Amino acid sequence: MATKKEEKQFEKERKAAIKARHKKMKEEGIEKYLTPDQIKYNRRRAMIGAVWPIFRFLILFGLCFIILYPLIFMLSTAFRPNEQMNDPSIVWIPKSFTLDNINDVWKVMKFDTTVVNTVVLNLIASCLQVVTCSITGYGFARFKFKGKNILFAIVILMIIVPPQITTIPLYMQYAYFKPQFLAKILTGGETSLIDSGWTMYLPALFANGLRAGLFIFIFRQFFKGLPKELEDAAYLDGCSPLYTYVKIMIPNAKQSFLTVFLFSIVWYWNDYYVSSSFFTKNDTVALMLKNLNTNLTQQLFDGQSVSVRQIIVWLEAGCLLSITPILVMYVFLQRYFIEGIERSGLAN
Amino acid sequence: MSEIEKNTPEEAEVQEVQTSEDTAAAAEAPEGFGEPIKAVKPEKKHRLSYEKRKGLYGYGFIAIWALGTIYFFILPLIESLIYSFNKTTVQPGGMEMKFVGWQNYVNAFRKDQDYSLALVNMLKNTALRTPLILIFAIFIAIILNQKFHGRTFARAVFFLPVIIATGPVIDIINGNMSTGGYAGGSEQFSTMFEADLVDQLLNFLGIYNISDKLTETITSLTSDIFNLVWNSGIQILLILSALQGISPASKEAAQMEGATSWEFFWKITLPHISPMILASVVYTVVDSFVDPQNEVMTIVLNKSTNWEHGYSAAMAWAYFAIIAVCLAIIVAIINKFVYYEVD
Repeated sequence: MATKKEEKQFEKERKAAIKARHKKMKEEGIEKYLTPDQIKYNRRRAMIGAVWPIFRFLILFGLCFIILYPLIFMLSTAFRPNEQMNDPSIVWIPKSFTLDNINDVWKVMKFDTTVVNTVVLNLIASCLQVVTCSITGYGFARFKFKGKNILFAIVILMIIVPPQITTIPLYMQYAYFKPQFLAKILTGGETSLIDSGWTMYLPALFANGLRAGLFIFIFRQFFKGLPKELEDAAYLDGCSPLYTYVKIMIPNAKQSFLTVFLFSIVWYWNDYYVSSSFFTKNDTVALMLKNLNTNLTQQLFDGQSVSVRQIIVWLEAGCLLSITPILVMYVFLQRYFIEGIERSGLAN
Repeated sequence: MSEIEKNTPEEAEVQEVQTSEDTAAAAEAPEGFGEPIKAVKPEKKHRLSYEKRKGLYGYGFIAIWALGTIYFFILPLIESLIYSFNKTTVQPGGMEMKFVGWQNYVNAFRKDQDYSLALVNMLKNTALRTPLILIFAIFIAIILNQKFHGRTFARAVFFLPVIIATGPVIDIINGNMSTGGYAGGSEQFSTMFEADLVDQLLNFLGIYNISDKLTETITSLTSDIFNLVWNSGIQILLILSALQGISPASKEAAQMEGATSWEFFWKITLPHISPMILASVVYTVVDSFVDPQNEVMTIVLNKSTNWEHGYSAAMAWAYFAIIAVCLAIIVAIINKFVYYEVD
């Protein structure tokens, strides 16, 4: 195998050779070498090659702008004094910068405690979810047993059924959690699991957390793509399937573990539907952001109703605050998000 | 193999596993694997075959999930189906139910003024938007699959909506806050470029007033480009991953034969990514149906916050049944055109 450096060298030489050949061909007259059709084809390719990058740049630039527009708007308004919001002479860059909005929102959202709470919830739930989903995915990918197809159909059903259908019965189940002693152990005395983190951890522990169906599906696809010889060799060496899974499959599946973990974190971070159903006091960033409007009018405007125009700076500051952690994570781990999905066999 | 006597019991068990596999192998190639069978005396006492044991291990692997699914998915699902046939009142200690049969369903379609209308709107919107999102995603994925400077950056940006758009941030961006009435980011964005371009373009071409509905549709689609771009992150990713599976050899061969990029797209790219297109369609449809912000979901959730759980469950189930039928039809149709590579 040639190293990367060598390959680059080869590429250079190849290009030089082609150039030389073209030069020679031109000097001797192209017609001698190529048919008119070929000349036409080549000419067209050369033209497209020259024009297309410009178009591509324009298209991508425009679309990137559309995507980044809300973020730019967020940055622009979050640091802008509220009075300058109605100044028609300001489009993007405010005349002065202020951190007051961020400070106010920080207080209203109780951001420090909220963020710690959310991170703890997220990390525990995501870790549990990744482990159990991967085990299930492996079971579906590599073992043959009766009723597998029906069970897998249930996994697909889990992806398709909107969570809104099951929320109310689930709420009842949590509120009157059946083995009462278990609920008491879990929450420390309470009979209801509502408001405790267990409403998130328990489903995650049993591979039924947020979008668990999708994760099981991803893991199954990924494990199916790994060569079977790996395990057969392990079996012959006397490993039990569980040991094989831990020692052989997990190291091979690192990338897709990371990808699923990251997605899980993002979705738990952004989730407000499930958490708003089961939490009334337990605050997460997404819930706080959802209620930011009401909280702002109560705490900053003494409950008077204000038009959104007046509190837009605080809203945008809140948005900025709550996406910053996830955005920072994305900037650093961006390639795992994208490459992970590409490689993890979803392409199958 | 000859050292079998020294093995501990556990290892003997493993050997047993190995033997039965060897037996299977031996059936295929009798000469090569004849010896090991003789060498080990299989202990046949209530031992399961390798295949069966593997099957049992399979159950073991999915046991956690199966337990959880019964408790966290199947039971609630059945429960909510029961709700939908009952009139429910919430009591301390549980839900009180009175059986009313199909009444909730009939009410949803016959008496509720908004529900059927929202349902039809929803279906129309999805039918319009899904092909658009798909074409857009394919287009962008092909561009992002080419080599150019700043490709990593572009990919990162196009994938950004997936990170943000699932959360409440998109609400504020979209201006769909509960207070309403505020022209948020997306609308503001559209008005930035609002120039009635569609009409002007048609007029420029010499077409006047063909159909108000047509221009309206086109206008609504073009002004919706913000949502289009923001909702196609995953689809772009899926198709991009499929595109990378196309071998460079086929591209080279096509160039040798003098195929234009256009021909290459229709004859090679499209068949190759067709399974992923199917996946994207399913994802798009499910995503737009499940979105808590769509009209039907809003109605359903409102009913549920008004403590009419039975009614809300009936609505949700009717809605879900319609989704399922739609999805089945779509998948059946597209499946006819999907090209599966035979390995």
